[in-house]
Amino acid sequence: MRWLGLMVVVVLALALAVVLGPAHVSLADLTTSDIVRSLRLPRALLAFLVGGSLALAGAGLQALVRNPLADPSLLGLSGGAGLGAVLAIALHLNSPWALPLAAFAGALGAMALVYRLGLVGGAELDPRILILAGVAVGAFTAAVTTALVSLSDAAELRNAFLWLWGGLSGASWDSVLLLCVYAPLPVAVLLAAARPLDLLALGEEPARHLGADVEAVKRRVYLAASLLTAAAVAVSGVIGFVGLVVPHAMRLLWGHRHRPLLPAAFLGGGALLALSDTVARVAVAPRELPVGIVTALIGVPVFVLLLRRWTAS
Amino acid sequence: MDRELILDVRAVSYRYPETARDALAGVSLVARAGEVHAVLGPNGSGKTTLLRVALGLARPATGSAAILGQPAAAWSRRDLARIVGVVPQREDHLFPQRVRETVLLGRYPYLSVWGAERPEDQAAVDRALARCDVSSLATRWIWTLSGGEYQRVRLARALAQEPKLLVLDEPTASLDVRHEMELFELVRALADQDGLAVVLITHHVNLAARFADRVLLLADGRTAGDGAPADVLTRETVERVFAWPVSIASFDGRPQMIPLRKQEEHS
Amino acid sequence: MRRWAHRTHLAGSLLFAVAACGRESRHAPSPGRISVVDDAGRTVAVAQPPTRIVSLSPAVTELLFALGAGDRLVGRTTWCDYPPAARRIPSVGDGLNPNIEAVAARHPDLVVLYRSALNETAAAQLARLGIAAVVVQQDRLEDIARAARLLGHLTGTDRAGASLAAALEQLVASSRMLPPPSPGRPRTRVAFVVWDNPPVVIGAGSYLDELAGLVGAANVFHDIAAASATVGLETIVSRDPDLLVLLRDSATAEPPGFLRRPEWRAVRAVRQARIVYLSGSLFARPGPRAAEAVAEFRRRLEEAMP
Repeated sequence: MRWLGLMVVVVLALALAVVLGPAHVSLADLTTSDIVRSLRLPRALLAFLVGGSLALAGAGLQALVRNPLADPSLLGLSGGAGLGAVLAIALHLNSPWALPLAAFAGALGAMALVYRLGLVGGAELDPRILILAGVAVGAFTAAVTTALVSLSDAAELRNAFLWLWGGLSGASWDSVLLLCVYAPLPVAVLLAAARPLDLLALGEEPARHLGADVEAVKRRVYLAASLLTAAAVAVSGVIGFVGLVVPHAMRLLWGHRHRPLLPAAFLGGGALLALSDTVARVAVAPRELPVGIVTALIGVPVFVLLLRRWTAS
Repeated sequence: MDRELILDVRAVSYRYPETARDALAGVSLVARAGEVHAVLGPNGSGKTTLLRVALGLARPATGSAAILGQPAAAWSRRDLARIVGVVPQREDHLFPQRVRETVLLGRYPYLSVWGAERPEDQAAVDRALARCDVSSLATRWIWTLSGGEYQRVRLARALAQEPKLLVLDEPTASLDVRHEMELFELVRALADQDGLAVVLITHHVNLAARFADRVLLLADGRTAGDGAPADVLTRETVERVFAWPVSIASFDGRPQMIPLRKQEEHS
Repeated sequence: MRRWAHRTHLAGSLLFAVAACGRESRHAPSPGRISVVDDAGRTVAVAQPPTRIVSLSPAVTELLFALGAGDRLVGRTTWCDYPPAARRIPSVGDGLNPNIEAVAARHPDLVVLYRSALNETAAAQLARLGIAAVVVQQDRLEDIARAARLLGHLTGTDRAGASLAAALEQLVASSRMLPPPSPGRPRTRVAFVVWDNPPVVIGAGSYLDELAGLVGAANVFHDIAAASATVGLETIVSRDPDLLVLLRDSATAEPPGFLRRPEWRAVRAVRQARIVYLSGSLFARPGPRAAEAVAEFRRRLEEAMP
């Protein structure tokens, strides 16, 4: 029953994203409209894929670092992506794919740095070190990015902050296709780690005794979650709260077992971002809100509600 | 007829990195089917280290550890989990769970990556719950259980692995008399009736003496005694190892240690 | 004990007196020959025409040179690049949220800032240092006309100021006398695109919108009151401008990368390659060269839309 309800929500979110928009497209023209075919449909699909990726990565990370308040942006990836993007603009790289590629490279660089910091002192993928290193790398890259932008002469760099705030304006069938080719592997790796993550919740030693290869699981989950987050940020900037709030909301309905939770998080995150993007496009039309603001406006009250339920139980 | 040899640890030595002394030096431990082998010793004597070396989680500097004839380090964690069920000292509770769910976790080594739980997995869980007398608690949340019930549930999880060897690390640390006795009786029955080999790390010298077939007494990482309880737990040995004056009485043919008070020492 | 009390009492009254003096100098204009009310409603007075002026706005720099007072400039922003003579004047940094110390180091007797919330604070800070600071609005041509009169009065070049202002006002008025659009010659519909991801366009609050009106074109985003706003790409597509106007300062011939992105191909003007590039220096801000800008813009539009 719950799954049916979730699927209905997903279909509804996608339908609204296609039907609604600042430009008036009547229902009769829906299938032939160029706006719908070239812009709204790929944008809706991209929102679904990005939101699903962020929520899935968030759920995996929360299990990996044994902290329910973990969010993909804690890993420092967003900071790295932002720095990469700003550098691409500052260097006047003119290729149409320069920005996403640079952001992706920046995110991967941040991921490698955080991982390396964790290795120092032999604490490979120790949850506490991961969080600390992630926050440090994120803060550092954010500082460098801000410095670059505020010191620069180019007005373009100041507009980079708009990109950082997150948005699906760059959506096209190309980016949807790219994500469809890229995402299945890390998604599959995370879904396959569902049972070991349940074991990991008992602690690393108990998980080992129950048959989990803890080091391998941690490495795989870290890599897969990072790759998904890096791709999401490269394509659509930093969108917060989806990776943090959606796993918790799904836990309220499906419990903590990761086998149902991970797919539910993916679907729920996709639906949330598609809906948020629709609101972003329509609420102040013809102007558009950054989608990161909408997810925060929706996410924060939901989070507070969840927190109250949690502390009450 | 010789009972099947499950665990064979021979003369292992192990030193933690950047420490001055060996945590273990020349310790041997053998576990056979149907036998309860207790590991005793004061804090820091190396009991948990021995467990880690025995199960391939730490590589000994000297000596060997083998399970079913194969070196411990050569076992994959998944395969080993089908042979050895461990009830560790501590466990985290990151998420709330029901009893049945947590026992089901023990079936992990038998499940395929994508496949769902099969009828035989549910049957194994049912058997484990029944064996530990916690079937009636199957739908309860873990946090609502008493200490004794919770320990039996964890034991059921280890049994759901259908192991040949059961290892318990301080299972009765915070239990009262009744739950302690119940657990030890259960462990003894698992050895006698189900033919499991049991290694039991415990502080409780007297209960170990009553229930174990063999006792390994560790002191400072070395073997202070290995054999039948009556042979190992003599007054001189116990006083030396635990650094406290004791008197040894006999109960039910087993030695029982009675720590003395300061003035009694001279009587 | 009594001597200590006496000393603190004295110190207290001294402090009070100094503070009172400071407040006084801000409120009542000292007796001077020239007094103006700036665009922030502040009354600024100078004893005689200033000879050391710091301009914190490129348009003001241009204005001062146009008024013949360019030789009195002792400081400019890094963005002040016209006329070429301006580049020889030392730069004091940014015009928005200016570096007060750098400005004061030029020992100016007049500082001109453009109007924004941060700059009004800066003007107050300068006034506290005893430096006359004037804030001028700079959103539209009418503002520049007014600024020409104000600066003309301040620098004693009233006639040049008045004639410059009249020319600008004439330019604005002339747009109302343009031939109305006809079926054979419809108004060219344009969209000014500042950024691509997310798409940022120019709205009615900007000088560029006014410029479009002056050449008889229509900004498809005239309904947005702000100077600039983020819009959805599909909005640009549905409003279907005839051409896009992009501002760029670099002289590269290569069109910006985003025009090759697949989602931008949905915009007809991109598909038809009807893009007009304008130089930021001349077009991004209103200034005395507005007539030149209007003529240039008109010429480029006719080129793009034969």
